[in-house]
Amino acid sequence: MENLIANFNYVIVVILMMIGLWSMLAQKNLIKKCIGMAIFQTGIILFFISIGAKDNALIPILTEAANHTYPDPDIAKIANPLTQILMLTAIVVGVATLGVGLALAQKIYQQHSSFDEDEILENQRK
Amino acid sequence: MTEHLPIIIILGPLLGAVLAAFTAWFRPKLSHPLVFVGLAISFAAALKLVFIVADAGAQKYWLGGWGTKQGHGVVGIQITVDHLNTLLLAAVSGIALLTTLYTKRLVDAELARRQRYFYALFSLLVTGLLGITITGDIFNLYVFMEIAALSSYALIAYGRGRAYMAAFNYLIMGTMGACLYLLGVGFVFAKTGTLNIDDVSAIIPELGQSQALFVGFVLILLGAWAKMAFFPFHGWLPNSYAYAPTASTALLAPLATKVSVYAMLRIMVTVYSIDYIIHSPATQSLVLYLSSIAIVAASFFSLTQTNLKKLAAYFVLSEIGYMVGGAWLANKPGLTGAMVHVVADAAMTSALFMAIGCIVYRLGQAQLDDLKGVFFKMPVTMAAFVVTMAALIGVPPTCGFFSKWYLIQGAAQAGVWHFVAALLLSSLVKAIILFRIIEIGYNRVPHPAIEGNPAIPRNEAPLSMLIPTVAMALGLIALGLVTSTLVNTIISKALPAALTP
Repeated sequence: MENLIANFNYVIVVILMMIGLWSMLAQKNLIKKCIGMAIFQTGIILFFISIGAKDNALIPILTEAANHTYPDPDIAKIANPLTQILMLTAIVVGVATLGVGLALAQKIYQQHSSFDEDEILENQRK
Repeated sequence: MTEHLPIIIILGPLLGAVLAAFTAWFRPKLSHPLVFVGLAISFAAALKLVFIVADAGAQKYWLGGWGTKQGHGVVGIQITVDHLNTLLLAAVSGIALLTTLYTKRLVDAELARRQRYFYALFSLLVTGLLGITITGDIFNLYVFMEIAALSSYALIAYGRGRAYMAAFNYLIMGTMGACLYLLGVGFVFAKTGTLNIDDVSAIIPELGQSQALFVGFVLILLGAWAKMAFFPFHGWLPNSYAYAPTASTALLAPLATKVSVYAMLRIMVTVYSIDYIIHSPATQSLVLYLSSIAIVAASFFSLTQTNLKKLAAYFVLSEIGYMVGGAWLANKPGLTGAMVHVVADAAMTSALFMAIGCIVYRLGQAQLDDLKGVFFKMPVTMAAFVVTMAALIGVPPTCGFFSKWYLIQGAAQAGVWHFVAALLLSSLVKAIILFRIIEIGYNRVPHPAIEGNPAIPRNEAPLSMLIPTVAMALGLIALGLVTSTLVNTIISKALPAALTP
């Protein structure tokens, strides 16, 4: 239990990902599926940021002004910059995916005047 | 110059895509030749690298000169061409090049005035696929995976109508797969502190048994399976490939799933070691059962299809089962079979969809009943089609026979008889379908759409489509004849050394 409280950010990651996964797979509304996708990705972003974070850590910019341990930095006191950079890329990918998903949903709406998956499938069967 | 060849493979289609998208604004006709030139450069570089790798071993390239060549501490992104991926790189760029030639008339006919950005997306998809294959960095692999996936959603949605819903389902499934993969990468990164494939594979054995690493392994594999439409995640594939424009399917079906299988092989063989599979027999037997189910179910569904494109999409599904099963046999012939089959199946599926595309070009659709008399009207296309089906069934001396031979050998050696039975059953089903098509196709009453001028008995697809189709079909036989050379000089060196013979 203490472990869980100490790492509560990972608990939130799991909750976010479960919400996202459930709404991607179980929701019938296409827009809700897109939202679920975004929530799922947010969970992963939080996960990566949590990996790179450290207690009382400084920003990873090694100049004399920003960091008094320059030029021989104490690694334990500097946040890992790699995870943050990776997540910048992942955010870009996520935005692009969301854009394509919403564009497709809008095209489907133009055809069927509905976002409901069941109604669309029934329309297509006709 | 030769040391820069690895990056040229990706730069060719990437620059082609950017320039094609740019010129589409004012000179749409220019995008096709631009993409063609980009892919031609990429194919030439990939072909040259096959010989270099066969002679001198793996070639590594550090982007921008970041990172050192000794030991740990690679800062930048590394790209690698080694025995595992060099053949696939040549196959992907070669098939993409032939498909570019082939699709020109098809795109003109199917998409007409909407084709403006088609070739830019086409080239971007190839960039993504080549990037997945060549990269030496597990996060970079994710980025290329999404580049390929985003362009393939758009290429499928070009089909309009039902294609939108198919593309949307693919998008949901594909994003879920990519996210699971990314999560797995997170676990690996948290344990090893690096993303470089060489470094990760050096560090993982030092860590010993680790729960987090195993979870990462499972998540990465789940992601790759969703991307390749392995059995429980296969739902998006048949509709996407059937409702997409034939020109898109001709590129997507042979390459997209095969490259995901390669990603799985890379993770299994290089990043993690094959011991991971050998030491977890319960998981192994579960995956083997899933692959057998995938093969049997896909074969069964392909029997019930009436649309030629959908039928071929179910073939793709059953071939995925071959490769995943072969890799998870985790013995020498099984892995060899899976590695050969990735290349062979890319060629076979490409030839199959090219032949189907020729038929669609003349018939406007591809219902089985419409094929009446097609053997008299389009003899060359159908000859290529029969050769391709023979390769899929596994008739020697086509390449399909040899890879299947390795797979069956591997399954027999591991004593997994249900996999042997599934492989044979799927061959049988494909033979049944071939004979059914022959029976319909030799029917003397031709379909009105392909009858054409009664004075001219033949009505083939245009030469720009026919020549690539025939070339690909002949390539299947040629690939079969050189299979043993390829296995001895290249693929046998990609196998992990720890395997028992």
